[in-house]
Amino acid sequence: MENNIRALRAERGWSQQQLADLLDVSRQSVNAIETGKYDPSLPLAFAIARLFERHIEEIFDDGRSVAKAAE
Amino acid sequence: MTQPKGFRTANKRYMRIFVPMMALYCVAISVALTFIDLDTASTGVRMGAAVAIALPLIAILMAILRLVRETDEYTRMRQLQALSEGGVMLTGAIFILGFLERFNVIPDIPLFLFGPGFFFFYGLAHLRQSLGKTV
Repeated sequence: MENNIRALRAERGWSQQQLADLLDVSRQSVNAIETGKYDPSLPLAFAIARLFERHIEEIFDDGRSVAKAAE
Repeated sequence: MTQPKGFRTANKRYMRIFVPMMALYCVAISVALTFIDLDTASTGVRMGAAVAIALPLIAILMAILRLVRETDEYTRMRQLQALSEGGVMLTGAIFILGFLERFNVIPDIPLFLFGPGFFFFYGLAHLRQSLGKTV
C-alpha cells in the first residue's frame, strides 16, 4: 500500500524518530510504513491520520478507487 | 493478556528487568565458578548454584515475552519472527547434532549449550531481518 507519510513528515520538519516518538512506535516502524514494507493496523493508521490532521484515504492508497470497487 | 503499552514504555519496562537480571546472572556465575568446587561441594550447594544462575535467565526470557506483548505492532511482528526463526534453527541444530551423537559421530554435547544457542540463532534471525532476508 502506498502512502505519503514521508512528504507529510517533511512538511512539518519532523525526523523519523520524532514521528515515532509522537506515535509511540519504534523508528523502524515508521521507516517500514513509509517505505511500504509494512501496512499499519487500523488503529495505527487512524493515529497517523489524526496526527497529520488528514483523512486516512488522503494518506494511504491501496490503488483501488471506490468506483472500481463498486463495479 | 497484557495490553500494548507503546514502544517507549514497553522498552523501559523490559530494561528494568533485563539490566538487573543480567547483572545478577553475571554475579551468580562468577561466584559459583570461583568459590564452588564441583568435586567437594554438597549436592544442595551445587543445586542452589545451578538454580541461582538459571533463574535470572528465565526472568529475562519472561521479560522478552512481555516486551513482545506490550511493544508496538511492527516491533512485535519482528520479534515474533525472530523468536520463531531462532526456535526453528535451534530445533534443526538439535536434530542434526542429536543424531550425530546417537550414531557416535561426535561426543556428547552439554545440554545447557542450547540455551546460548537459542540466543545466537535469535540474534541471527534479527540480523537476517535487518538485511531484508526472509525464510
